[in-house]
Amino acid sequence: MNSPPSDTLVHWLSAHQFFATYADHLDHERFAQWVDLFDPTDCRYEVLSRENRDLGLSLPIMGCFSHGMVQDRVAMLAKGVLTYRRDKLLRQVSNVQVLSGSGASIKARANLVVYQSSEEGVSSLYMVARYECELLEGAQGLKIRHMAVVVDSFGIDTMLAVPL
Amino acid sequence: MNQDRKGRIEWTRSDFSRVPYAVFTDPEIYQQENEKIFRGPVWNYLCHESEVPQIGDFVSTWVGETRVVVTHARDGSFHAFENSCAHRGAQIVTAVRGNAQRFSCPYHLWTYNLSGELTGVPMAAGVKGKGGMPPCFEKKDHGLARMRVERYGGLIFGTFSDEAPPLQQFLGPHSLSQIDRLLVQRPPKVLGYLRQRIPGNWKLYNENVRDPYHGSLLHQFQVSFGLQQPTMKGGIKLDAERKNTWNHSILSAEDKDNQAIVAQAYEGTGKYNPNMRMADPALTQVPLDLGDGYKTTILSIFPSLVVAQVDNTYAIRHLRPKGPDLVELHLTYLGFESDTPEMTRDKMLTANFIGPAGYISLEDGEALRLVQQGIRHRHPGGSEVLEMGGIGPIEDTDYLSQEISIRGFWSFYQRIMGLPMGGPEASA
Repeated sequence: MNSPPSDTLVHWLSAHQFFATYADHLDHERFAQWVDLFDPTDCRYEVLSRENRDLGLSLPIMGCFSHGMVQDRVAMLAKGVLTYRRDKLLRQVSNVQVLSGSGASIKARANLVVYQSSEEGVSSLYMVARYECELLEGAQGLKIRHMAVVVDSFGIDTMLAVPL
Repeated sequence: MNQDRKGRIEWTRSDFSRVPYAVFTDPEIYQQENEKIFRGPVWNYLCHESEVPQIGDFVSTWVGETRVVVTHARDGSFHAFENSCAHRGAQIVTAVRGNAQRFSCPYHLWTYNLSGELTGVPMAAGVKGKGGMPPCFEKKDHGLARMRVERYGGLIFGTFSDEAPPLQQFLGPHSLSQIDRLLVQRPPKVLGYLRQRIPGNWKLYNENVRDPYHGSLLHQFQVSFGLQQPTMKGGIKLDAERKNTWNHSILSAEDKDNQAIVAQAYEGTGKYNPNMRMADPALTQVPLDLGDGYKTTILSIFPSLVVAQVDNTYAIRHLRPKGPDLVELHLTYLGFESDTPEMTRDKMLTANFIGPAGYISLEDGEALRLVQQGIRHRHPGGSEVLEMGGIGPIEDTDYLSQEISIRGFWSFYQRIMGLPMGGPEASA
């Protein structure tokens, strides 16, 4: 990387902090705050199966192509429109890497596993995936321009209601 | 009780308005289904022709619990065979799709051509004059277990049975005209695949797609945003054996004026909210590109295929049972060769209706999970009650809130499985 080591470290710490906040909002169903992590002027959120990606097919499992669509995804949960399994989800993010950081833009990647825990306290692995994102540094902190969640466990257990 | 002391499972009503719960949980029934249905006199959906366009292209799929490979051979014909070596049984093809000139079992390199015939056995003549296969060994006797293959409208079907009727007869006239409407008048192309593993019996999904009654009740999203309403025009059409159903709904201008009737239908449920708004309603505003007025059309073909148009989405849904309590719902999501880039973008928007994360379909996964849980964990015996839309004759309807087509499915199921009719009515 051409940037001084201190910049690299700052970017890496920023990305780390960002993923921790992102996962914590979703884990605790603070959906409005999760929406606020997206750039209101231009953003995209996609959950993609590794199968489709490997075949060069662009069909998402879940695809929000505007800030409004990101809002709607979680509004349907918060307003009780959707019937879905209400397991408690816990996201574990690891191996955060900053691929490039130039100016205000950071491209980052991380691994994700999600556990699901039932009403009666039985936990199991729900999802294995990878975050690939482009973040933009602004006055309000880092915002998501593009977030792709590439899912290895694309044989989705029952359903995917809550975003990853 | 629907299981007598010998554990027989029987139907207590001749119109199939009762279904013994045990058919969803009994492991013996599940084993019999593999033999009598998936390996029996039916046509099983395998894949779409556009997935294997070139010579050597192959796709791995499932017929019940049997793993099958579909190939496009050199002479242009399509073949399907079990993915299990004729020698020691190893799975030969591990890729889900690809292109190959031949298939070699990795264990002892027995090699098969694209039709599944055995073409090579290493060391068959022995090594340095010793060993080898006995003189009576003939390669032609040791090909892979092959299915009979037929096609209609780009859909490739296979059967393990010599008793299966001709494919078009099995499908029936409504299936043929709907396949023509959805998959022939515009050549389709695959936009992607979606897989949903639903922890419920595979027949629960067959019920679900033959059940327009739930469409506007479970799926609040559809009602809230004008995709489906209980006041819509529509109905069902059955084939001669009532195993295949086409159900359809048409949204007309007058549905906007039916809010009071809709509100009445939901009275006391606390579920109806006509004031719901979306921040970005773009996906609900995509025009129906077929232009024939149908809002939803679901073609359900026994035992494991659904060809569905939900709003402006087109998909082939394939059921892959994984034991009595689990089924993979495999979706092939389609666009059309003639689609403009804008139409393809629109289909990426509307993809949010269906599949494991679909505003509509994700709920079916949860509903079926709950049914399987409920059936699993109740006192043995008991049966479903299917009376909505009327009992008695199993006939076409011009209304949607009905469970008649579900009874049609069971009437064929009972016959093909050879399960006994019973109960006071049947013996009377």
